Amino acid sequence: MKKIIHIAAQEYMRNVLKGSFILALLSIPLMIALGVGLALIITNLENDSSPIGYVDLSGLFSDPIELSEQDWKVEIISYETETAAREDLESGKLQAFYVLSQDYDTSNEIHLYYQEEPGQNATRQFNDFIQLNLVAQRYPELADRVVAGDNVVLRSVDGKRELPDNGPPLNIILPLIISFAIVMLILMSSGYMMHAVVEEKENRTMEVLITSVSSSQLIAGKVIGILMIALTQLLSWTVFGILLILIAGQGMGIEWFQEAKIDWYALLAIGLLAIPTFITASALMVAIGSTVTETQEAQWVVSIFMLLFWLPLWTIGMIGDTPHAPLPIILSFLPFTALMTISIRNMFVVVPYWQIIMSAIVQILFALTAIWLAGKAFRLGMLGFGQKISLKSIFRKPVEVRE
Amino acid sequence: MNTIEVVHIAKNFGKTVAVRDVSFEAVGGEIFGMLGPNGAGKTTTIRIILDIFKPDSGSVSILGGAMNEQKKELIGYMPEERGLYQDINLEKCLLYLGSLKGMSRSEAMNRLEPLLERFDLEEHKKKKVKELSKGMQQKAQIINTIIHQPEVIIIDEPFTSLDPINTKLVKEVMRELRDKGMTIIMSTHQMHQVEELCDRILLINEGKDVLYGDLAGIRKSHAGNAVLVRTSGELPVLPGVEAIQTSNGNVKFILEEGMSPQDLLGALSSQQVAVEKFEIAVPSLDEIFIRVVGEGSKV
Repeated sequence: MKKIIHIAAQEYMRNVLKGSFILALLSIPLMIALGVGLALIITNLENDSSPIGYVDLSGLFSDPIELSEQDWKVEIISYETETAAREDLESGKLQAFYVLSQDYDTSNEIHLYYQEEPGQNATRQFNDFIQLNLVAQRYPELADRVVAGDNVVLRSVDGKRELPDNGPPLNIILPLIISFAIVMLILMSSGYMMHAVVEEKENRTMEVLITSVSSSQLIAGKVIGILMIALTQLLSWTVFGILLILIAGQGMGIEWFQEAKIDWYALLAIGLLAIPTFITASALMVAIGSTVTETQEAQWVVSIFMLLFWLPLWTIGMIGDTPHAPLPIILSFLPFTALMTISIRNMFVVVPYWQIIMSAIVQILFALTAIWLAGKAFRLGMLGFGQKISLKSIFRKPVEVRE
Repeated sequence: MNTIEVVHIAKNFGKTVAVRDVSFEAVGGEIFGMLGPNGAGKTTTIRIILDIFKPDSGSVSILGGAMNEQKKELIGYMPEERGLYQDINLEKCLLYLGSLKGMSRSEAMNRLEPLLERFDLEEHKKKKVKELSKGMQQKAQIINTIIHQPEVIIIDEPFTSLDPINTKLVKEVMRELRDKGMTIIMSTHQMHQVEELCDRILLINEGKDVLYGDLAGIRKSHAGNAVLVRTSGELPVLPGVEAIQTSNGNVKFILEEGMSPQDLLGALSSQQVAVEKFEIAVPSLDEIFIRVVGEGSKV
């Protein structure tokens, strides 16, 4: 056990102190920060909150109904004359002004004046303002209703999931975000695992190690070390996530973050599937590391596994439309795709518990098979340092080397 | 008691025969040379001894029985190529590998310091292994092999990349370890190093042991009926001589069957030849190697 701890500690320290690990550790928070930052920049570029004006030559809007305060982000100022509006535009008080023609009622003719193109929010708001007042003139009793708008709620067939029309709340997509983070962790950690095996095989350290410890001790030590690395990443990302929710929700008062609640059912499903998936991925990386001769070659093989992991994200539309269709159900049982698929399905419906349990059992069976395969490939790999091992040879016959 | 006993081991990898039939014994307090051309089966034999592979047939006994986890701590192994982590500093690398041999950190530190000093690596201990020269890495590997004071050392090409001064140092260390009673198995292609260091040798060819035993005895047995002579005057025609070869002032007499070196000495003496040097001509290990590998038979 002491030697296993030594190996685990060595594996942990070697990777954690690397610049690439620190970069990977910060990658998810950086990606989120970058995404949020870019969204804010784009929104700011597209929108302009300075007032807009209008000159109503038609007389249709002499006593206009105002939009509700919640929607009234851009002030709309009425001008008697075009000259007055133009003066304010030139002085920078207005971002733009509209002139409604005398026969606007029949011609629909409006002229827009601006020095720089007005913000999309301002033009949208003025359109709402015009539509509201046109409706109010003809059907005054409908005006309030038009202002109130719709509140569409999407509800799953089983009635257990609700999605408001302004997008899913945080508590619904939180499990998907967690799954995404775990998949990233699995890919990174198993990548470390594979790299460690290939490197030790390449530089013959493996030959020295195996004369000091058994191959089971070596693999166990490495898996524990890599698992500790993954937990370090998970812990740091969790802390970041909690801080983000607290700062954005409590500190900045963003409503979407205030809704964060934990969906224990979805989290349990993630936990059940993540552990065997982690073991399967790590074991397969040992197998790949044992069968190839160079790190570069191994990375090429790993990219195929990455494609499988991300497959559910590419088909998220189809899974969302038909979460109980055969393909999403099949993807819920396949190794690598199960974790993400079930998390996506849980966004739209509640995945039946028997499917989650069955999938977990299947993942455990895959994990056991992967461990067996890794052990065999590892031992076979030791037969030929610097030689490629074919998949066929792994399955062909027992390898008579030490355990 | 024999430290290592290898009895008729054989190992195939698919259709490839790596080791056909190898047997030998090594005892404490000797440097045992393992020789053979490339692909002869030396490395596979070493890996079988180290229990990395199981033999298809035959048996290996090390330190009185089969290999187990405890015995691994009593064995030091240095593969021919590299064997150290390249991207960590030398000290950390050696301490980690030492810890896998059952040493505590303080114990490993205490043993490492004098070894680093002796091998002139003290000032390089904080450098990454990949920053060291090949010769330094080779010395570091030797330290890694002996730091835990093993009873058995298996060392593959120990003099690769070493300059004459470091070669001398490594030889001194190997002799010291032998004198302390350790068993050293050295696999090498450098025949002169074997002649200088080894007490006994094993020559493997095509997976089979073709030459095994005491080095002096082997050389003597391959001497043939020849004598090396240096004289001060002209050589007369001598009876019983099949051929004469001259080299560097020495004359090699290849004697006819039935003619002994003693007879030749008598003939030289009777003809009043002033003999400065007279010795049985023994072949070099190189010559024996080439001859035996060509013949492919066990002697």
